[in-house]
Amino acid sequence: MIFNSLEFFIFLLIVFFIYWFVLKKSLKTQNILLLVASYFFYGCWDWRFLALILLSTIVDYFIGIKICSNENNLNRKKWLWCSVIFNIGLLGFFKYYNFFVDSWIDLFSAFGYSLRSSWTLKVILPVGISFYTFQTMSYSFDIYYKKLKPTKDFLSFATFVSFFPQLVAGPIERASNLLPQISNKRVFNYKQVIEGGKLILWGLFKKVVIADALAPIVDDIFLNYSSYPASTLVLGVFFFSFQIYGDFSGYSDIAIGVAKLFGIELMSNFKFPYFSRNISEFWRRWHISLSTWFRSYLYIPIGGSRGSKLKVIRNVFVIFVISGLWHGANWTFVFWGCIHAIIFIPMILLGKKNNYKNDVIAENTVLPSFKEFLRVLLVFSIVTFSWVFFRSESIFEAFSYIKRIILDFSYVNYMHPQGFRMLDYYILIFVFVLYEYIIRKDERSPFKIKSKVVRFVVYTLVIFGILLFYDDHIDRSFIYFQF
Amino acid sequence: MYVVLILLLLEILIRVFYLTKDYPTRYVDKYKVEKWKPNQVGYSVTGLRRQNFSEYRINSSGFNSYREYKPLENKLELALVGDSYIEGFHQHYYNSIGKKIEKKTEGLEVYEFGYAGYDLADQLHLIHQYKSTFDLIDHVVVSFNYKYDLERDKYNVLEHRMRLESPFYKVLQKSKLLVYLQKNGMFDAPRNLVASFFKKSKSKTDQSDKSSLINKAINKELELKKNTYNFEMLVDKYGFDKSRFIFLLDSSKTPQKFLRYLGENGFRYIDFYKVLQQSTKPTTLIYDMHWNNHGRDLIADLIVDFYKPILIK
Repeated sequence: MIFNSLEFFIFLLIVFFIYWFVLKKSLKTQNILLLVASYFFYGCWDWRFLALILLSTIVDYFIGIKICSNENNLNRKKWLWCSVIFNIGLLGFFKYYNFFVDSWIDLFSAFGYSLRSSWTLKVILPVGISFYTFQTMSYSFDIYYKKLKPTKDFLSFATFVSFFPQLVAGPIERASNLLPQISNKRVFNYKQVIEGGKLILWGLFKKVVIADALAPIVDDIFLNYSSYPASTLVLGVFFFSFQIYGDFSGYSDIAIGVAKLFGIELMSNFKFPYFSRNISEFWRRWHISLSTWFRSYLYIPIGGSRGSKLKVIRNVFVIFVISGLWHGANWTFVFWGCIHAIIFIPMILLGKKNNYKNDVIAENTVLPSFKEFLRVLLVFSIVTFSWVFFRSESIFEAFSYIKRIILDFSYVNYMHPQGFRMLDYYILIFVFVLYEYIIRKDERSPFKIKSKVVRFVVYTLVIFGILLFYDDHIDRSFIYFQF
Repeated sequence: MYVVLILLLLEILIRVFYLTKDYPTRYVDKYKVEKWKPNQVGYSVTGLRRQNFSEYRINSSGFNSYREYKPLENKLELALVGDSYIEGFHQHYYNSIGKKIEKKTEGLEVYEFGYAGYDLADQLHLIHQYKSTFDLIDHVVVSFNYKYDLERDKYNVLEHRMRLESPFYKVLQKSKLLVYLQKNGMFDAPRNLVASFFKKSKSKTDQSDKSSLINKAINKELELKKNTYNFEMLVDKYGFDKSRFIFLLDSSKTPQKFLRYLGENGFRYIDFYKVLQQSTKPTTLIYDMHWNNHGRDLIADLIVDFYKPILIK
């Protein structure tokens, strides 16, 4: 049951109706409904893995209590490690087991030893495991760092872990933000529901119109890269930049919008990252819930920007390599993380990490300055280049792709694999970037337009765009589900 | 109110950009022949973003053509009878296969009797009912598709097709927004959802339906026998002038045994498989299986080549 399906909207309507109109008087029954709905939602993917979520919930619930009840710091740390080992163990087994076994075998092969791959297992990756394990770990961390007291309400905690809008692809919520909202009474707020509806609409636009429309082109170019000229390969990775942004930020918008329908505010996950003026600004705007998670629970505990330059460089590498590996069990993601680390390190060493922290491009003007424009263009180009590794099936393919661009530069007009006019897509990207630029100051209000008439026209055009580019025949699932 | 206004504006946008096709009215004439109501014009649109846009013109005979059909003894005429490929809504009516043949020949009038969904029963019934007209036409090319054309052994008006002319559907077709939503598969989702919901009970019903099971179990040999039987019945009932009539078919989609049967029984055919296969340029619309302009050119060439001795310019 994906967000951009009719089944989901029927499910959402039913849950919304029961939540506000049947169970509005009792917080407990509302939470029971959210929990049942969340388990049903997840069960639609694969009911067998519900046991994993439940296990993760039970373990972290009790570990949270244990950490808090211990005064001794060593004991507290031991319990925290229990949580980390358990969650990373789950993740490691389901996501990375085969990757590490295969990598060891490859390493031995490189030294001339032949090993049989009898250790590899047929393991199915449970949807969303990277997201909910990180979310439950954040609970243990927050209690350990005394930012949060453990809840004694198991129902609220289970609802926090499995809250369906963000269960399978985030945002990875902090217990300190989400748990109190689940534990406390919610009241129906018409304005909040309308805001949620608007975010859902904008998220659908990004997913259906941007990501899904570009997907067949990107798939075609990356699959047949060896037969395409360099100009087409550049187009392929340029389109992938927009595909992955539309896909993931679209999902996040829908998740935030759906949560609003139930009176819950989730954290923002994207803040127009392609308008970033340096790479650290990009990471403050891209997949915010993951980057802040790593900063809070990994980067700062291992020393952060304190200490010698060498230590700082090591810390940055650790964070980006692990972040890359979080995305998938493939060396391509590790390489992608390394590229970002290499670009990020000069920012830290030159003390420019916090530049552009509290403003957006063209903060007080209509158009950006020429310098800002060039910076945005440069950051976008670097990020787009790194996507080659993210999208390629292997390191070898990624390098072949880049090699072909650099050494074999030629231009040939690209034809859409299904014969559609390419002009439509160029116009689409242009209009999308322009609109995102207009709304760049507030990612949570995509239709913040004063004039009612203009707003009405924009709503209609967004729906019109969805109709124009909706394709029932393509795979409409979200890219980040695989992580 | 807001929603209504948005729907209204969407309807306007779809009309302004002409994103959906016009539906010509169909009817069953006094000879029980299903065809388009005479003298209509409109536009056929393919693709969600108007990837293909062409004008059609239904003539006084009820078929898409730039000309009227007035065969005479002292004129040379060729008729093309077939389904949507001959009907040619995907091409401007002034650029049809018939018109292309006329351009390549001299003094020949080509009458196109194409109608989407026509099978062999429809085609032979039409020729039979309009015998006086077809008797005046010198040559008749009958488009033939083995897979779909031989599912029945006699003609009858297909109710499901005519249901599209019911007031309900007519009202629905008035809304271009609804037509567009239907075209891009928005209604498939609820339909599939309902279908999947009832799947279990339906499969039980299917199991109890013996005839359906037998139908599914028919192997190719049985299908060939059934199709050959239907073919014989149709030819027997409506007649087939082997001296003037010729089939236009794709040999790669027709069993060899059936092709042999045609040969052995004196049924001639023009095979367009090789010509289209050897083409270096695409012969169909990329997002639609129908022939594009180049494909139609090749088919026209093939027909002209076949009739070269009598039709050459």
